[in-house]
Amino acid sequence: MTIDYSRQEMMAIATGREIRDGELAIFGVGLSMLAGYFAQAHHAPRVRAMTEGGVYGATPVGGLPWGIECNRLAVNAVSFTSALDALGCLVASGRCDVGIIGAAQVDRFGNVNTTGIWDGKIGASYRPPKTRLTGAGGANDIACGAKRYLIMVSHEPKRFVDRVSYVTSPGYLDGGDAREQAGLIGGGPTAIITTLGILRPDPQTHEFQLDAYFTFSGVDEILANTGWDLKVAADARVVPEPSPEELAALRRVDETGMLRR
Amino acid sequence: MPTNKLITLAEAVRRYTWDGMQYASGAALPVGSDAIVFGRELLRQQRRDLHAIFHANTQQLNLLAAAGAVTQAECGFSGLEGFGFANGLRRAIEQGRLVLEDFSNLAMALRLLGGALNWPFIPATVNIGSDLQYRRAFEPDVHPNPNKIPSVTDPFSGKRIGAFSPLRPDLAAIHVTLADPEGDAIMLGTEWSRFELSRAAKRVVLLADAIVHTDCMRQYPNLVRIPGIIVEAVVYWPFTAWPQASPGMYDVDEAHMKAMNQALGSEHGTATYVRDYVDSYVDLDGYLDLIGRGKIAELSNGATAFLLDPYRRWLLSHAEALALTAAASA
Repeated sequence: MTIDYSRQEMMAIATGREIRDGELAIFGVGLSMLAGYFAQAHHAPRVRAMTEGGVYGATPVGGLPWGIECNRLAVNAVSFTSALDALGCLVASGRCDVGIIGAAQVDRFGNVNTTGIWDGKIGASYRPPKTRLTGAGGANDIACGAKRYLIMVSHEPKRFVDRVSYVTSPGYLDGGDAREQAGLIGGGPTAIITTLGILRPDPQTHEFQLDAYFTFSGVDEILANTGWDLKVAADARVVPEPSPEELAALRRVDETGMLRR
Repeated sequence: MPTNKLITLAEAVRRYTWDGMQYASGAALPVGSDAIVFGRELLRQQRRDLHAIFHANTQQLNLLAAAGAVTQAECGFSGLEGFGFANGLRRAIEQGRLVLEDFSNLAMALRLLGGALNWPFIPATVNIGSDLQYRRAFEPDVHPNPNKIPSVTDPFSGKRIGAFSPLRPDLAAIHVTLADPEGDAIMLGTEWSRFELSRAAKRVVLLADAIVHTDCMRQYPNLVRIPGIIVEAVVYWPFTAWPQASPGMYDVDEAHMKAMNQALGSEHGTATYVRDYVDSYVDLDGYLDLIGRGKIAELSNGATAFLLDPYRRWLLSHAEALALTAAASA
């Protein structure tokens, strides 16, 4: 049986499959939120989800929320607290099991840039970016403090770079044990899930390598869209296609079809 | 005799703001609570050279930046959540008219907490190891920069951590859902960092969507997270956060969010926006007419309106709130 679905939907489902039932989880506003709430709607009904404003118990109603305080999310919350509470007490503290963040650029060690795009390297002296992006938000706090986190990003050469020009949210920095050396509490990114496949870090060097591809993609297409010399895991495999139940659950969450555009 | 701190918006800006000040606002991420009308009034009174402290960017900072009123800013998130990039802010940064110092959202809350407690610094376990620590826009020639989030040693474990500087803005203009005339306030929705901000700022002005009788605060004292004794003045202004959302009161105005952000993407669009939506109204009623009475009804009768139900019996009418404002000014 063939089911029609978009690459973005496959990315969201593959991301959601990483979330386990019962985990304490934080989802940012955006497509990553759809992946997280898909997991809750499908296989992780007891996931303990929150957003960075300290909005607890809320699940999106009527489509992807515009923000954490719009009616689509605020309508069924059981607790509103604060940034200090959600990002501090529950995430930076090291208590949160899993977070999902997005990226404008990501590099071989899973470092994420959402601050800006410069023409070339920034250089010794800081200067304004050619294109200013959205900044760190709560993503840096998730990247620093969560036990593990997932990076969800569209797979294009301009986004997959050897070294990000600005590290907004730390992955494994220079690789190896650089995260621990820097004093970071959280465990770092365990997967980069893209529109073409899944990358996972080598346990020692922490360099990301190709772990899996989708039925509609393949190793060659992924290598061509990655801006560094991507290693392919010896046991690289194909990711199972979305089941009808998974797609139905995702589309209930993604009521306005953001992932089908 | 209870104090009546209600004053007009124009008077609040005249009394508590000046060119070059450190001005804090931006209550709850870009789509929620924020004292946006205070920013509109700052432009009407032509305040310049502001150093903006916004926990996260909002349409207020987007507008102030687009119009050239802000030269320095510190914030966590600098986009507009589901509405994309903040065109006015990004244009000002890219053109070098505004220098933005980047932190994370938790860092901004912690720095406000540090200001509130008058701590010399706040231990940092986030932002460290990234360019948020090593790149300092306010001191661009020093890299890696040791002065933004200096590395320090935890005296107990001996481990390396960072140190955040505290924030003590000259003024915080804080949007709240409900305030009584003395400045006791209830916020529906996430507090974000309004608790910390209200204690960190040297002065606090509240902008309230509705004024309630003080009996409301006596009924729900646990929910009053900003007490009147730290508040200088209260401005009654329904739809303070428009086009953003105020849970229980009104939902986000999607069409205006998009149109406003598109306008702020260019010099010409910004001038037109300022003419039509900043300089055009004379008073509160004129402002509400500008939004449109039909639009107000539509945004007010949304899915979260039930959040306001417990408080409705204490709401003062529009006429009563305006009369109290007039009485305080007399």
